[in-house]
Amino acid sequence: MPHAIELAHLRKVFRVRERARGFAASLRALIAPREREVVAVDDVSFAIAPGERVAFVGPNGAGKSTTLKVLSGILQPTAGLVRVLGLDPGRDRARLAFRIGTVFGQRSQLWSHLPAADTFDLLARIYELEPAEYRQRRSELVSSFAIADIIEKPVRQLSLGERMRCELVASLLHRPEILFLDEPTIGLDVVAKATIRDLVRERGRRDGCTVLLTSHDTGDMEGVCERVLVIHQGRLLLDRPIEALRKSFIPRKRVSVVTEEAELRIDLPGVRRLPSAAHRTELEVDLAVIGVDRVVAAIVAGARVLDLSVEDPPMEEIVTAIYAGAAPAAARA
Amino acid sequence: MSRSRLARSASKYAAIAGAAVRRALAERAVLAGRVVFLGAILFIFSRVWQTVVGGGAIAIPGAGKAELIWYLAVTEWCLLSVPPFFLSIEAEVRSGDVACRLVRPVSYVGAQLAEAFGETALRLAVLGPAAAGFALLIAGSWPADPRGLLLALPLGVLSSVLAVLSMAAIGLSAFWIVDTSPIFWIWQKLAFVLGGLLLPLELYPSWLRALARFSPFPAMLWGPGRMAFGFAPGVALETFLELAIWCALAAAGLAALATRVRRRLTVNGG
Repeated sequence: MPHAIELAHLRKVFRVRERARGFAASLRALIAPREREVVAVDDVSFAIAPGERVAFVGPNGAGKSTTLKVLSGILQPTAGLVRVLGLDPGRDRARLAFRIGTVFGQRSQLWSHLPAADTFDLLARIYELEPAEYRQRRSELVSSFAIADIIEKPVRQLSLGERMRCELVASLLHRPEILFLDEPTIGLDVVAKATIRDLVRERGRRDGCTVLLTSHDTGDMEGVCERVLVIHQGRLLLDRPIEALRKSFIPRKRVSVVTEEAELRIDLPGVRRLPSAAHRTELEVDLAVIGVDRVVAAIVAGARVLDLSVEDPPMEEIVTAIYAGAAPAAARA
Repeated sequence: MSRSRLARSASKYAAIAGAAVRRALAERAVLAGRVVFLGAILFIFSRVWQTVVGGGAIAIPGAGKAELIWYLAVTEWCLLSVPPFFLSIEAEVRSGDVACRLVRPVSYVGAQLAEAFGETALRLAVLGPAAAGFALLIAGSWPADPRGLLLALPLGVLSSVLAVLSMAAIGLSAFWIVDTSPIFWIWQKLAFVLGGLLLPLELYPSWLRALARFSPFPAMLWGPGRMAFGFAPGVALETFLELAIWCALAAAGLAALATRVRRRLTVNGG
């Protein structure tokens, strides 16, 4: 079966103008500016099968968004082979645009002063959808993303979570074969993040759509994807099923709990108390010793809980663990 | 491009223009602000004109106080009808939002132009009657031959097309210089001075008038404005052709600039 996405030895180099220091240097820079090369992506290769949901994770500045922009045809690669749905994105950007959907978490494709419904209508024309087909698809997505009561409000009046649901619907209207999601949960609260993850996963399954999701939030990859690619400083560090990554590199979870009692008393093997404040306790749970469910049960049994959250360690910590424990050459499970 | 492909493409840009009109209608305060600004400008300069012309300091054949106020109403209508959309292009380049626009099956520059034309059409339709109302109120009468104003209408529309193309080019310059305001400032001041926004070119020294005629600005502002001085179909036709030529040149320049932008984005990542 042909791959939905295929990258071979992708390299992307940006030329950045160096800032001159001092008046004389600034004048010289006007005539002969000095530039340096920044390697954003270096020798990255991977292939993704149709229908696969893959997380492309790494810390800020790792090269995730640059790769996504190359895949969607916005940027040309400096070197390497790129094929998306059999097309060269740099050359066939317009043709490819009809077959892919994109969501950039930090940018909006909706018109802020208009209701989302107006943007949907506009996108239907831009993607050349037949009116009947558009109405049917829109109705299906509006119902599945539960946005019926918000699509007639101006987008600027929506919460970030509501806006993101509308962004996803906007990107799915034309039934894309591949969905590129760039930090789709950035800035969202815990509940909104969980909702977005569920919706993306379900929609990907239902439409048979390939999903490539970039994030520096490990919860996104666990909540949506079945495979993970870890990139760091422009190089692919790891390519594994999510389950394998979780077992090998996410051995701990962090539990934050707010209680009515000033101090939470908990003494379980594998649970370490981190620096905490009155009424707010931070715990680190070693998953090899004890499950999070048992820790949460113990907390709820011993105190009046006002708020509780379970988080993965930050991406930077996972990357450090990967560096320490896995050689990139042997990364594929 | 096949006929049906062309029709589908035209339909996309028409839809974008329509959405821009709806957005402009949603931003009614901006539109109202432009109307108030137009009224204030006309009132202030009408006082100047009444003093200058009334005192006999200047005279233009066929143009009394009323005609000069109508001249100003037409030139301001042409200029104020064009939204400063170069700022939104600049903002998209600065923030990187331009990347979002490039993943759609539609030309970035084409979409920007469609939005601008949609909003300009609405502003022309709103500011036209407003300018006429203010001019009638301030001057107290129509121009001596009001039929000239009918000729000003198509000229004003074509003038706005030229201004939209110019502003698009100014906006695209953000890919090189990021801050486009110096270029816009120069363009605007040249339009004010060489286009005769406030003073008809008849009042300029002959050398400056000759110099101005090498630029597109007289056709853009003085051409439509002087229709307030009388009914002159021949002059109107000449101005129309001049504007059409400048529009064609501006469109060609913009197309060349858009090609360079695509290459630059490819190289630098936008």
